[in-house]
Amino acid sequence: MSVRYRKERLDRGIKARCEDIFALSSYREMLYLLLPRVLPVIALLSLPLLKGVVGLYWEKVLVVTCAIALLALSWDLMASVGLVCLGQALFFGAGAYLTGFLNHSFGWPPFLTIPLGTLGGALFCTLLLLPVLRLRGIYFAIVTLTLPLLLARFIETTKILGGNVGMSGLSPLPGIWFELYVPVVALLICLFGFRRLINEDYGLVLQGIRDNDRAVMSGAINIYKLKAQAVFIAGVAGAFAGAFMTHYYQFVGMPAFALDYSILPLTCAVLGGVGSFAGPTLGAFILVPLSEILRAFGTLRVVFYSTILIICVVGLPEGIFHYIQRKYHQFERLVEVG
Amino acid sequence: MLEIKNLMVFFENALAINDLSLEVHRGKIVGVLGSNSAGKTTLMNTISGLIIDMKKKEDRKGGERITVLGEIRFEGEDITDTKPSERVKKGIVLSRERHPVFPDSTVEENLKIATYLRKDPQIKKSFEFVYTVFPRLKELRKRKAGFCSGGEQQMLAIGMALMTKPRLLLMDEPLLGLSPAMQQDLIRAIKEIREEGVTILVTEQFARPLLPIIDRGYVIENGTLILTGTGKELMDNPEVKAAYFGL
Repeated sequence: MSVRYRKERLDRGIKARCEDIFALSSYREMLYLLLPRVLPVIALLSLPLLKGVVGLYWEKVLVVTCAIALLALSWDLMASVGLVCLGQALFFGAGAYLTGFLNHSFGWPPFLTIPLGTLGGALFCTLLLLPVLRLRGIYFAIVTLTLPLLLARFIETTKILGGNVGMSGLSPLPGIWFELYVPVVALLICLFGFRRLINEDYGLVLQGIRDNDRAVMSGAINIYKLKAQAVFIAGVAGAFAGAFMTHYYQFVGMPAFALDYSILPLTCAVLGGVGSFAGPTLGAFILVPLSEILRAFGTLRVVFYSTILIICVVGLPEGIFHYIQRKYHQFERLVEVG
Repeated sequence: MLEIKNLMVFFENALAINDLSLEVHRGKIVGVLGSNSAGKTTLMNTISGLIIDMKKKEDRKGGERITVLGEIRFEGEDITDTKPSERVKKGIVLSRERHPVFPDSTVEENLKIATYLRKDPQIKKSFEFVYTVFPRLKELRKRKAGFCSGGEQQMLAIGMALMTKPRLLLMDEPLLGLSPAMQQDLIRAIKEIREEGVTILVTEQFARPLLPIIDRGYVIENGTLILTGTGKELMDNPEVKAAYFGL
Protein backbone atom coordinates (compact mmCIF):
# COMPACT_ATOMS: atom_id res chain seq x y z
CA MET A 1 0.00 0.00 0.00
CA SER A 2 1.31 3.42 -0.93
CA VAL A 3 2.37 5.95 1.66
CA ARG A 4 -0.36 8.39 2.55
CA TYR A 5 0.04 11.91 3.84
CA ARG A 6 -2.10 14.39 5.62
CA LYS A 7 -1.57 18.00 6.56
CA GLU A 8 -1.06 18.51 10.25
CA ARG A 9 -1.68 21.78 12.03
CA LEU A 10 0.44 22.57 15.04
CA ASP A 11 0.40 25.41 17.50
CA ARG A 12 3.49 27.53 17.29
CA GLY A 13 4.07 27.06 20.96
CA ILE A 14 5.66 28.65 23.89
CA LYS A 15 7.76 25.94 25.51
CA ALA A 16 5.74 25.67 28.70
CA ARG A 17 2.25 26.98 28.63
CA CYS A 18 -0.66 26.39 30.90
CA GLU A 19 -3.85 28.32 30.26
CA ASP A 20 -2.76 31.94 30.45
CA ILE A 21 0.47 31.37 32.35
CA PHE A 22 3.49 31.32 30.11
CA ALA A 23 6.95 30.30 31.14
CA LEU A 24 8.97 32.50 28.89
CA SER A 25 12.51 31.45 28.28
CA SER A 26 13.76 33.71 25.55
CA TYR A 27 13.36 37.14 24.03
CA ARG A 28 11.97 35.47 20.95
CA GLU A 29 9.05 34.05 22.86
CA MET A 30 8.41 37.36 24.57
CA LEU A 31 8.44 39.08 21.22
CA TYR A 32 6.08 36.44 19.85
CA LEU A 33 3.57 37.23 22.58
CA LEU A 34 4.08 40.98 22.73
CA LEU A 35 4.19 41.83 19.05
CA PRO A 36 0.47 41.39 18.26
CA ARG A 37 -0.45 43.39 21.36
CA VAL A 38 2.07 46.19 21.15
CA LEU A 39 2.00 46.69 17.41
CA PRO A 40 -1.56 48.06 17.16
CA VAL A 41 -0.98 50.30 20.18
CA ILE A 42 2.12 51.84 18.65
CA ALA A 43 0.50 52.10 15.25
CA LEU A 44 -2.62 53.79 16.59
CA LEU A 45 -0.71 56.18 18.83
CA SER A 46 1.65 57.20 16.07
CA LEU A 47 -1.04 57.82 13.45
CA PRO A 48 -1.92 61.31 14.78
CA LEU A 49 1.78 62.22 14.66
CA LEU A 50 1.68 61.87 10.87
CA LYS A 51 -0.45 65.02 10.74
CA GLY A 52 2.22 66.97 8.94
CA VAL A 53 2.84 64.20 6.37
CA VAL A 54 -0.61 63.14 5.23
CA GLY A 55 -2.48 66.37 5.81
CA LEU A 56 -5.53 67.29 7.84
CA TYR A 57 -7.95 65.53 5.53
CA TRP A 58 -6.61 62.08 6.41
CA GLU A 59 -6.50 62.98 10.06
CA LYS A 60 -10.22 63.68 9.78
CA VAL A 61 -10.59 60.22 8.26
CA LEU A 62 -8.72 58.83 11.27
CA VAL A 63 -11.22 60.40 13.67
CA VAL A 64 -14.18 59.06 11.70
CA THR A 65 -12.52 55.64 11.53
CA CYS A 66 -12.10 55.61 15.30
CA ALA A 67 -15.75 56.52 15.77
CA ILE A 68 -16.88 53.73 13.44
CA ALA A 69 -14.47 51.32 15.12
CA LEU A 70 -15.99 52.19 18.50
CA LEU A 71 -19.45 51.48 17.10
CA ALA A 72 -18.17 48.20 15.64
CA LEU A 73 -16.74 47.25 19.04
CA SER A 74 -20.06 47.98 20.68
CA TRP A 75 -21.77 45.83 18.02
CA ASP A 76 -19.35 43.00 18.69
CA LEU A 77 -19.92 43.16 22.44
CA MET A 78 -23.67 42.93 21.93
CA ALA A 79 -23.21 40.08 19.47
CA SER A 80 -21.15 38.26 22.12
CA VAL A 81 -24.23 38.29 24.34
CA GLY A 82 -26.38 37.01 21.50
CA LEU A 83 -28.01 40.35 20.79
CA VAL A 84 -27.67 40.91 17.07
CA CYS A 85 -28.09 44.64 16.83
CA LEU A 86 -28.82 46.52 13.62
CA GLY A 87 -29.11 49.89 15.30
CA GLN A 88 -25.76 51.16 16.46
CA ALA A 89 -27.05 54.54 15.25
CA LEU A 90 -29.29 54.51 18.31
CA PHE A 91 -26.27 54.67 20.61
CA PHE A 92 -24.51 57.15 18.39
CA GLY A 93 -27.55 59.40 18.08
CA ALA A 94 -28.45 59.28 21.75
CA GLY A 95 -24.94 60.24 22.80
CA ALA A 96 -24.74 62.91 20.12
CA TYR A 97 -28.07 64.54 20.88
CA LEU A 98 -27.62 64.55 24.65
CA THR A 99 -24.18 66.13 24.32
CA GLY A 100 -25.45 68.66 21.82
CA PHE A 101 -28.44 69.49 23.98
CA LEU A 102 -26.34 70.04 27.11
CA ASN A 103 -23.90 72.24 25.25
CA HIS A 104 -26.51 74.15 23.28
CA SER A 105 -28.95 74.85 26.12
CA PHE A 106 -26.72 75.24 29.13
CA GLY A 107 -23.43 76.12 27.48
CA TRP A 108 -21.53 73.49 29.41
CA PRO A 109 -17.98 72.84 28.13
CA PRO A 110 -17.06 69.65 26.24
CA PHE A 111 -15.17 68.32 29.26
CA LEU A 112 -18.52 68.04 31.00
CA THR A 113 -20.88 67.33 28.13
CA ILE A 114 -18.94 64.47 26.55
CA PRO A 115 -18.83 62.29 29.71
CA LEU A 116 -22.41 63.19 30.58
CA GLY A 117 -23.56 62.55 27.03
CA THR A 118 -21.75 59.23 26.99
CA LEU A 119 -23.18 57.91 30.24
CA GLY A 120 -26.59 59.51 29.77
CA GLY A 121 -26.89 58.29 26.20
CA ALA A 122 -25.94 54.76 27.20
CA LEU A 123 -28.44 54.84 30.06
CA PHE A 124 -31.17 56.18 27.78
CA CYS A 125 -30.53 53.40 25.22
CA THR A 126 -30.48 50.74 27.92
CA LEU A 127 -33.81 51.92 29.31
CA LEU A 128 -35.22 52.09 25.79
CA LEU A 129 -34.07 48.56 24.98
CA LEU A 130 -35.01 47.11 28.38
CA PRO A 131 -38.46 45.90 27.29
CA VAL A 132 -37.14 44.18 24.17
CA LEU A 133 -34.19 42.39 25.76
CA ARG A 134 -36.18 39.20 25.94
CA LEU A 135 -36.43 39.15 22.16
CA ARG A 136 -33.92 36.99 20.40
CA GLY A 137 -32.20 36.89 17.05
CA ILE A 138 -33.97 38.55 14.17
CA TYR A 139 -36.72 40.10 16.30
CA PHE A 140 -34.24 42.06 18.38
CA ALA A 141 -32.46 43.08 15.18
CA ILE A 142 -35.68 44.45 13.68
CA VAL A 143 -36.51 46.48 16.78
CA THR A 144 -33.04 47.98 16.98
CA LEU A 145 -33.05 48.71 13.26
CA THR A 146 -36.23 50.76 13.50
CA LEU A 147 -35.59 52.57 16.81
CA PRO A 148 -33.07 55.14 15.49
CA LEU A 149 -35.29 55.81 12.48
CA LEU A 150 -38.22 56.27 14.82
CA LEU A 151 -36.31 58.71 17.01
CA ALA A 152 -35.14 60.68 13.98
CA ARG A 153 -38.71 61.09 12.72
CA PHE A 154 -39.87 61.91 16.23
CA ILE A 155 -37.38 64.77 16.45
CA GLU A 156 -38.31 65.92 12.96
CA THR A 157 -42.05 66.10 13.56
CA THR A 158 -42.11 67.39 17.13
CA LYS A 159 -39.39 69.94 16.30
CA ILE A 160 -37.70 69.39 19.66
CA LEU A 161 -33.91 69.50 19.90
CA GLY A 162 -33.68 71.65 16.80
CA GLY A 163 -36.04 69.58 14.65
CA ASN A 164 -34.74 68.80 11.18
CA VAL A 165 -32.32 71.74 11.31
CA GLY A 166 -30.36 70.35 14.24
CA MET A 167 -28.24 72.28 16.67
CA SER A 168 -25.18 74.03 15.28
CA GLY A 169 -22.54 76.36 16.62
CA LEU A 170 -21.57 74.06 19.47
CA SER A 171 -18.33 74.60 21.37
CA PRO A 172 -15.26 73.37 19.49
CA LEU A 173 -12.84 70.89 21.01
CA PRO A 174 -9.76 72.39 22.62
CA GLY A 175 -6.87 71.91 20.25
CA ILE A 176 -5.97 69.53 17.43
CA TRP A 177 -4.06 67.11 19.65
CA PHE A 178 -7.11 66.65 21.84
CA GLU A 179 -9.20 66.04 18.73
CA LEU A 180 -6.84 63.36 17.46
CA TYR A 181 -5.74 61.58 20.60
CA VAL A 182 -9.01 61.29 22.50
CA PRO A 183 -10.72 58.98 19.99
CA VAL A 184 -7.54 56.93 19.53
CA VAL A 185 -7.08 56.43 23.26
CA ALA A 186 -10.77 55.71 23.74
CA LEU A 187 -10.58 53.11 20.99
CA LEU A 188 -7.56 51.44 22.60
CA ILE A 189 -9.24 51.39 26.01
CA CYS A 190 -12.39 49.86 24.54
CA LEU A 191 -10.49 47.35 22.42
CA PHE A 192 -8.32 45.97 25.21
CA GLY A 193 -10.97 46.48 27.87
CA PHE A 194 -13.60 44.53 25.94
CA ARG A 195 -11.14 41.77 25.14
CA ARG A 196 -10.30 41.48 28.82
CA LEU A 197 -13.94 41.69 29.85
CA ILE A 198 -15.11 38.91 27.59
CA ASN A 199 -12.41 36.56 28.87
CA GLU A 200 -13.23 37.19 32.53
CA ASP A 201 -15.76 34.98 34.28
CA TYR A 202 -18.31 37.72 33.71
CA GLY A 203 -17.66 37.64 29.99
CA LEU A 204 -17.88 33.87 29.88
CA VAL A 205 -21.38 34.08 31.33
CA LEU A 206 -22.21 36.64 28.66
CA GLN A 207 -20.98 34.25 25.97
CA GLY A 208 -22.98 31.51 27.64
CA ILE A 209 -26.11 33.60 27.13
CA ARG A 210 -25.29 33.77 23.44
CA ASP A 211 -24.71 30.04 23.12
CA ASN A 212 -27.59 28.76 25.23
CA ASP A 213 -29.57 31.26 27.24
CA ARG A 214 -31.87 28.67 28.77
CA ALA A 215 -28.91 26.76 30.19
CA VAL A 216 -27.62 29.98 31.79
CA MET A 217 -31.10 30.65 33.18
CA SER A 218 -31.21 27.23 34.75
CA GLY A 219 -27.91 28.11 36.45
CA ALA A 220 -29.92 30.62 38.52
CA ILE A 221 -28.51 33.61 36.67
CA ASN A 222 -30.74 36.50 35.74
CA ILE A 223 -29.91 36.83 32.08
CA TYR A 224 -31.95 39.98 31.54
CA LYS A 225 -29.91 41.81 34.15
CA LEU A 226 -26.72 40.68 32.44
CA LYS A 227 -28.05 41.57 29.02
CA ALA A 228 -28.98 45.04 30.26
CA GLN A 229 -25.51 45.49 31.71
CA ALA A 230 -23.94 44.40 28.44
CA VAL A 231 -26.14 46.79 26.49
CA PHE A 232 -25.06 49.59 28.82
CA ILE A 233 -21.38 48.79 28.37
CA ALA A 234 -21.79 48.57 24.61
CA GLY A 235 -23.86 51.75 24.78
CA VAL A 236 -21.06 53.63 26.51
CA ALA A 237 -18.71 52.84 23.63
CA GLY A 238 -21.31 53.81 21.01
CA ALA A 239 -22.56 56.92 22.80
CA PHE A 240 -19.02 58.15 23.33
CA ALA A 241 -18.47 58.06 19.58
CA GLY A 242 -21.62 60.14 19.14
CA ALA A 243 -20.75 62.55 21.95
CA PHE A 244 -17.27 63.12 20.63
CA MET A 245 -18.32 63.56 17.01
CA THR A 246 -20.90 66.15 18.07
CA HIS A 247 -18.22 68.46 19.39
CA TYR A 248 -15.89 67.51 16.57
CA TYR A 249 -18.41 68.63 13.94
CA GLN A 250 -19.76 71.34 16.26
CA PHE A 251 -23.14 70.25 15.03
CA VAL A 252 -25.75 67.67 15.86
CA GLY A 253 -28.70 66.88 13.67
CA MET A 254 -30.77 64.08 12.22
CA PRO A 255 -27.79 62.50 10.40
CA ALA A 256 -26.71 61.25 13.86
CA PHE A 257 -29.45 58.64 13.55
CA ALA A 258 -28.50 57.79 9.95
CA LEU A 259 -28.57 54.21 8.76
CA ASP A 260 -24.82 54.43 7.98
CA TYR A 261 -23.98 54.30 11.65
CA SER A 262 -25.96 51.08 11.95
CA ILE A 263 -24.76 49.26 8.86
CA LEU A 264 -21.11 50.29 8.63
CA PRO A 265 -20.12 48.92 12.08
CA LEU A 266 -21.83 45.66 11.21
CA THR A 267 -19.93 45.39 7.92
CA CYS A 268 -16.67 46.19 9.68
CA ALA A 269 -17.30 43.45 12.22
CA VAL A 270 -18.20 40.86 9.58
CA LEU A 271 -15.20 41.75 7.43
CA GLY A 272 -12.75 41.75 10.32
CA GLY A 273 -14.08 38.73 12.16
CA VAL A 274 -16.90 38.59 14.68
CA GLY A 275 -16.22 37.92 18.34
CA SER A 276 -12.62 39.01 18.63
CA PHE A 277 -13.02 42.80 19.04
CA ALA A 278 -9.72 43.18 17.22
CA GLY A 279 -11.50 42.04 14.06
CA PRO A 280 -14.10 44.82 13.97
CA THR A 281 -11.39 47.39 14.70
CA LEU A 282 -9.30 46.04 11.84
CA GLY A 283 -12.41 46.03 9.65
CA ALA A 284 -13.08 49.67 10.42
CA PHE A 285 -9.49 50.61 9.64
CA ILE A 286 -9.82 48.88 6.27
CA LEU A 287 -13.31 49.92 5.22
CA VAL A 288 -13.46 53.61 6.16
CA PRO A 289 -10.13 54.61 4.53
CA LEU A 290 -10.98 52.37 1.56
CA SER A 291 -14.21 54.23 1.07
CA GLU A 292 -12.25 57.51 1.09
CA ILE A 293 -9.69 56.23 -1.42
CA LEU A 294 -12.48 55.12 -3.72
CA ARG A 295 -13.86 58.66 -3.85
CA ALA A 296 -11.60 59.06 -6.89
CA PHE A 297 -13.99 56.82 -8.83
CA GLY A 298 -16.89 59.22 -8.36
CA THR A 299 -20.26 57.57 -8.52
CA LEU A 300 -18.73 54.17 -9.25
CA ARG A 301 -17.37 54.22 -5.70
CA VAL A 302 -20.17 52.16 -4.24
CA VAL A 303 -19.79 49.52 -6.97
CA PHE A 304 -16.09 49.01 -6.21
CA TYR A 305 -16.66 49.22 -2.50
CA SER A 306 -19.41 46.58 -2.58
CA THR A 307 -17.41 44.31 -4.89
CA ILE A 308 -14.39 44.36 -2.58
CA LEU A 309 -16.66 43.71 0.36
CA ILE A 310 -18.37 40.75 -1.31
CA ILE A 311 -15.04 39.21 -2.36
CA CYS A 312 -13.70 39.51 1.17
CA VAL A 313 -16.80 38.10 2.85
CA VAL A 314 -17.16 35.19 0.44
CA GLY A 315 -13.45 34.41 0.31
CA LEU A 316 -12.78 34.73 4.03
CA PRO A 317 -15.98 34.03 5.91
CA GLU A 318 -14.08 33.70 9.18
CA GLY A 319 -12.92 37.30 8.95
CA ILE A 320 -9.57 38.81 8.17
CA PHE A 321 -8.45 38.95 11.80
CA HIS A 322 -9.17 35.29 12.51
CA TYR A 323 -7.27 34.31 9.38
CA ILE A 324 -4.21 36.33 10.37
CA GLN A 325 -4.42 35.04 13.93
CA ARG A 326 -4.52 31.45 12.72
CA LYS A 327 -1.54 31.92 10.43
CA TYR A 328 0.40 33.60 13.25
CA HIS A 329 -0.26 30.94 15.86
CA GLN A 330 -0.11 27.78 13.80
CA PHE A 331 2.01 26.18 11.19
CA GLU A 332 1.32 23.24 8.95
CA ARG A 333 3.33 20.29 7.78
CA LEU A 334 2.77 17.05 5.94
CA VAL A 335 2.92 13.90 8.04
CA GLU A 336 2.85 10.29 6.99
CA VAL A 337 -0.09 8.16 8.09
CA GLY A 338 -1.06 4.51 7.85
CA MET B 1 -22.30 -4.24 -2.00
CA LEU B 2 -20.41 -1.72 0.14
CA GLU B 3 -16.72 -2.08 0.61
CA ILE B 4 -14.54 0.14 2.77
CA LYS B 5 -10.79 -0.18 2.52
CA ASN B 6 -8.25 1.27 4.93
CA LEU B 7 -10.44 4.18 5.92
CA MET B 8 -8.81 6.84 8.07
CA VAL B 9 -10.51 9.98 9.28
CA PHE B 10 -8.80 12.74 11.20
CA PHE B 11 -10.44 15.67 12.93
CA GLU B 12 -7.56 18.10 13.08
CA ASN B 13 -4.88 15.98 14.76
CA ALA B 14 -7.25 13.54 16.43
CA LEU B 15 -7.72 10.17 14.81
CA ALA B 16 -11.43 9.36 14.60
CA ILE B 17 -11.27 6.24 12.44
CA ASN B 18 -8.11 4.20 12.22
CA ASP B 19 -7.48 1.98 9.24
CA LEU B 20 -10.96 0.51 9.16
CA SER B 21 -11.96 -2.00 6.51
CA LEU B 22 -15.40 -3.51 6.35
CA GLU B 23 -17.78 -5.10 3.89
CA VAL B 24 -21.54 -5.12 3.64
CA HIS B 25 -23.15 -7.81 1.48
CA ARG B 26 -26.47 -7.47 -0.27
CA GLY B 27 -29.54 -8.24 1.76
CA LYS B 28 -27.77 -8.46 5.08
CA ILE B 29 -28.00 -6.54 8.32
CA VAL B 30 -24.57 -5.44 9.39
CA GLY B 31 -24.01 -3.92 12.79
CA VAL B 32 -21.23 -1.61 13.91
CA LEU B 33 -20.99 -1.69 17.66
CA GLY B 34 -19.02 0.60 19.86
CA SER B 35 -19.26 2.85 22.86
CA ASN B 36 -19.29 6.63 22.80
CA SER B 37 -16.53 8.26 20.75
CA ALA B 38 -15.76 4.99 19.01
CA GLY B 39 -16.25 6.64 15.62
CA LYS B 40 -19.64 5.25 14.69
CA THR B 41 -21.22 8.52 13.63
CA THR B 42 -18.07 9.55 11.79
CA LEU B 43 -18.17 6.26 9.90
CA MET B 44 -21.80 6.86 8.94
CA ASN B 45 -21.07 10.42 7.86
CA THR B 46 -18.17 9.19 5.78
CA ILE B 47 -20.21 6.51 4.03
CA SER B 48 -23.10 8.87 3.34
CA GLY B 49 -20.68 11.56 2.17
CA LEU B 50 -21.83 14.17 4.66
CA ILE B 51 -18.25 14.48 5.78
CA ILE B 52 -17.33 15.98 2.41
CA ASP B 53 -19.77 18.76 3.13
CA MET B 54 -18.54 19.23 6.67
CA LYS B 55 -14.99 19.35 5.42
CA LYS B 56 -15.76 22.03 2.87
CA LYS B 57 -17.58 24.12 5.43
CA GLU B 58 -14.79 23.87 7.98
CA ASP B 59 -12.15 24.64 5.38
CA ARG B 60 -13.98 27.76 4.30
CA LYS B 61 -14.16 29.19 7.77
CA GLY B 62 -10.74 27.90 8.77
CA GLY B 63 -12.04 25.59 11.46
CA GLU B 64 -11.13 21.98 12.11
CA ARG B 65 -9.28 20.31 9.31
CA ILE B 66 -10.93 17.03 8.39
CA THR B 67 -8.79 14.53 6.52
CA VAL B 68 -10.36 11.47 4.91
CA LEU B 69 -8.08 8.81 3.50
CA GLY B 70 -8.94 5.43 2.08
CA GLU B 71 -11.42 4.04 -0.36
CA ILE B 72 -15.16 3.49 -0.33
CA ARG B 73 -16.71 1.33 -3.06
CA PHE B 74 -20.39 0.88 -3.64
CA GLU B 75 -21.33 -1.94 -6.01
CA GLY B 76 -17.83 -1.96 -7.42
CA GLU B 77 -17.82 1.76 -8.07
CA ASP B 78 -15.46 4.14 -6.30
CA ILE B 79 -17.55 6.72 -4.47
CA THR B 80 -14.88 8.18 -2.20
CA ASP B 81 -15.26 11.68 -3.63
CA THR B 82 -18.92 11.52 -4.64
CA LYS B 83 -21.18 14.25 -3.32
CA PRO B 84 -23.73 13.18 -0.68
CA SER B 85 -26.66 14.04 -2.95
CA GLU B 86 -25.24 11.80 -5.68
CA ARG B 87 -24.83 9.00 -3.16
CA VAL B 88 -28.49 9.23 -2.24
CA LYS B 89 -29.34 8.87 -5.92
CA LYS B 90 -27.21 5.74 -6.01
CA GLY B 91 -29.24 4.38 -3.11
CA ILE B 92 -27.17 5.09 0.01
CA VAL B 93 -29.52 6.71 2.47
CA LEU B 94 -28.62 7.77 5.98
CA SER B 95 -31.04 8.09 8.86
CA ARG B 96 -29.08 10.29 11.22
CA GLU B 97 -28.89 9.97 14.96
CA ARG B 98 -31.17 11.89 17.32
CA HIS B 99 -34.04 11.64 14.90
CA PRO B 100 -33.78 14.80 12.82
CA VAL B 101 -37.18 15.62 11.30
CA PHE B 102 -38.76 18.82 10.06
CA PRO B 103 -40.55 19.87 13.24
CA ASP B 104 -43.01 22.31 11.69
CA SER B 105 -44.30 19.93 9.02
CA THR B 106 -46.78 17.16 9.68
CA VAL B 107 -45.70 13.53 9.68
CA GLU B 108 -47.18 13.00 6.23
CA GLU B 109 -45.51 16.11 4.84
CA ASN B 110 -42.20 14.93 6.25
CA LEU B 111 -42.58 11.66 4.38
CA LYS B 112 -43.56 13.51 1.23
CA ILE B 113 -40.49 15.73 1.45
CA ALA B 114 -38.38 12.58 1.57
CA THR B 115 -39.71 11.45 -1.82
CA TYR B 116 -38.33 14.60 -3.43
CA LEU B 117 -35.90 12.65 -5.63
CA ARG B 118 -38.41 10.12 -6.86
CA LYS B 119 -40.45 10.40 -10.01
CA ASP B 120 -41.76 6.82 -10.19
CA PRO B 121 -45.45 6.01 -9.65
CA GLN B 122 -44.78 3.67 -6.75
CA ILE B 123 -44.59 6.43 -4.17
CA LYS B 124 -48.02 5.42 -2.92
CA LYS B 125 -46.77 1.89 -2.33
CA SER B 126 -43.86 3.23 -0.36
CA PHE B 127 -46.26 5.19 1.82
CA GLU B 128 -48.18 1.99 2.50
CA PHE B 129 -44.98 0.13 3.25
CA VAL B 130 -43.86 2.75 5.77
CA TYR B 131 -47.31 2.72 7.35
CA THR B 132 -47.31 -1.06 7.64
CA VAL B 133 -43.84 -1.11 9.16
CA PHE B 134 -44.72 1.72 11.53
CA PRO B 135 -48.51 1.59 12.10
CA ARG B 136 -48.16 4.33 14.69
CA LEU B 137 -47.14 6.82 12.00
CA LYS B 138 -50.43 6.31 10.22
CA GLU B 139 -52.33 7.37 13.33
CA LEU B 140 -50.16 10.47 13.64
CA ARG B 141 -50.36 11.42 9.96
CA LYS B 142 -51.68 14.93 10.57
CA ARG B 143 -49.65 15.79 13.63
CA LYS B 144 -46.70 18.15 13.46
CA ALA B 145 -43.46 16.19 13.71
CA GLY B 146 -42.12 18.50 16.41
CA PHE B 147 -44.92 17.41 18.74
CA CYS B 148 -44.30 13.69 18.33
CA SER B 149 -42.44 11.79 21.02
CA GLY B 150 -38.81 10.82 20.61
CA GLY B 151 -39.66 7.27 19.57
CA GLU B 152 -42.22 8.45 17.06
CA GLN B 153 -39.74 10.89 15.63
CA GLN B 154 -37.22 8.08 15.32
CA MET B 155 -39.76 5.99 13.42
CA LEU B 156 -40.49 8.97 11.23
CA ALA B 157 -36.79 9.53 10.54
CA ILE B 158 -36.39 5.92 9.45
CA GLY B 159 -39.63 6.16 7.49
CA MET B 160 -38.27 9.18 5.68
CA ALA B 161 -35.14 7.25 4.80
CA LEU B 162 -37.32 4.43 3.47
CA MET B 163 -39.32 6.83 1.31
CA THR B 164 -36.19 7.60 -0.70
CA LYS B 165 -36.18 3.92 -1.69
CA PRO B 166 -32.73 3.06 -0.38
CA ARG B 167 -30.72 0.08 -1.47
CA LEU B 168 -28.34 0.53 1.42
CA LEU B 169 -29.96 1.99 4.51
CA LEU B 170 -27.57 3.47 7.05
CA MET B 171 -29.02 3.80 10.51
CA ASP B 172 -27.10 5.79 13.07
CA GLU B 173 -28.04 4.79 16.60
CA PRO B 174 -31.71 4.08 15.93
CA LEU B 175 -32.30 2.86 19.48
CA LEU B 176 -30.93 5.98 21.12
CA GLY B 177 -33.27 7.24 23.81
CA LEU B 178 -35.98 4.65 23.27
CA SER B 179 -37.61 2.53 25.94
CA PRO B 180 -36.97 -1.24 25.81
CA ALA B 181 -40.48 -1.86 24.48
CA MET B 182 -39.99 0.74 21.78
CA GLN B 183 -36.61 -0.77 20.98
CA GLN B 184 -38.23 -4.16 20.38
CA ASP B 185 -40.76 -2.51 18.04
CA LEU B 186 -37.97 -0.92 16.10
CA ILE B 187 -35.95 -4.15 15.92
CA ARG B 188 -38.99 -5.85 14.44
CA ALA B 189 -39.30 -3.02 11.93
CA ILE B 190 -35.66 -3.35 10.95
CA LYS B 191 -36.25 -7.02 10.22
CA GLU B 192 -39.28 -6.19 8.08
CA ILE B 193 -37.29 -3.63 6.14
CA ARG B 194 -34.62 -6.21 5.41
CA GLU B 195 -37.28 -8.58 4.12
CA GLU B 196 -38.11 -5.95 1.49
CA GLY B 197 -34.61 -6.39 0.10
CA VAL B 198 -32.98 -3.39 1.68
CA THR B 199 -29.44 -3.87 2.90
CA ILE B 200 -28.93 -2.34 6.31
CA LEU B 201 -25.87 -1.00 8.09
CA VAL B 202 -26.69 -0.04 11.63
CA THR B 203 -24.52 1.45 14.38
CA GLU B 204 -25.49 1.02 17.97
CA GLN B 205 -24.25 1.13 21.54
CA PHE B 206 -26.92 -1.20 22.87
CA ALA B 207 -25.68 -4.50 21.55
CA ARG B 208 -28.14 -6.70 23.46
CA PRO B 209 -31.35 -6.11 21.49
CA LEU B 210 -29.53 -5.82 18.19
CA LEU B 211 -27.14 -8.76 18.19
CA PRO B 212 -29.78 -11.45 17.56
CA ILE B 213 -30.83 -9.95 14.24
CA ILE B 214 -27.55 -8.88 12.71
CA ASP B 215 -25.81 -11.10 10.19
CA ARG B 216 -22.43 -9.64 10.78
CA GLY B 217 -21.09 -7.37 13.47
CA TYR B 218 -18.04 -5.19 13.73
CA VAL B 219 -16.91 -3.98 17.14
CA ILE B 220 -14.91 -0.76 17.03
CA GLU B 221 -13.15 1.05 19.80
CA ASN B 222 -11.51 4.45 19.46
CA GLY B 223 -11.84 4.14 15.71
CA THR B 224 -10.09 0.81 15.47
CA LEU B 225 -11.74 -2.44 14.51
CA ILE B 226 -11.16 -4.87 17.34
CA LEU B 227 -13.52 -7.72 16.68
CA THR B 228 -15.70 -9.06 13.94
CA GLY B 229 -18.02 -12.00 13.58
CA THR B 230 -21.61 -13.06 13.09
CA GLY B 231 -24.18 -11.88 15.59
CA LYS B 232 -24.21 -15.26 17.24
CA GLU B 233 -20.44 -15.36 17.59
CA LEU B 234 -20.35 -11.92 19.09
CA MET B 235 -23.06 -12.80 21.57
CA ASP B 236 -20.98 -15.68 22.86
CA ASN B 237 -17.75 -13.72 22.89
CA PRO B 238 -16.61 -13.08 26.46
CA GLU B 239 -15.08 -9.70 25.60
CA VAL B 240 -18.29 -8.42 24.08
CA LYS B 241 -20.21 -9.81 27.00
CA ALA B 242 -18.01 -7.94 29.41
CA ALA B 243 -18.04 -4.72 27.45
CA TYR B 244 -21.63 -4.51 26.28
CA PHE B 245 -23.74 -6.72 28.49
CA GLY B 246 -22.03 -6.00 31.76
CA LEU B 247 -21.84 -9.67 32.67
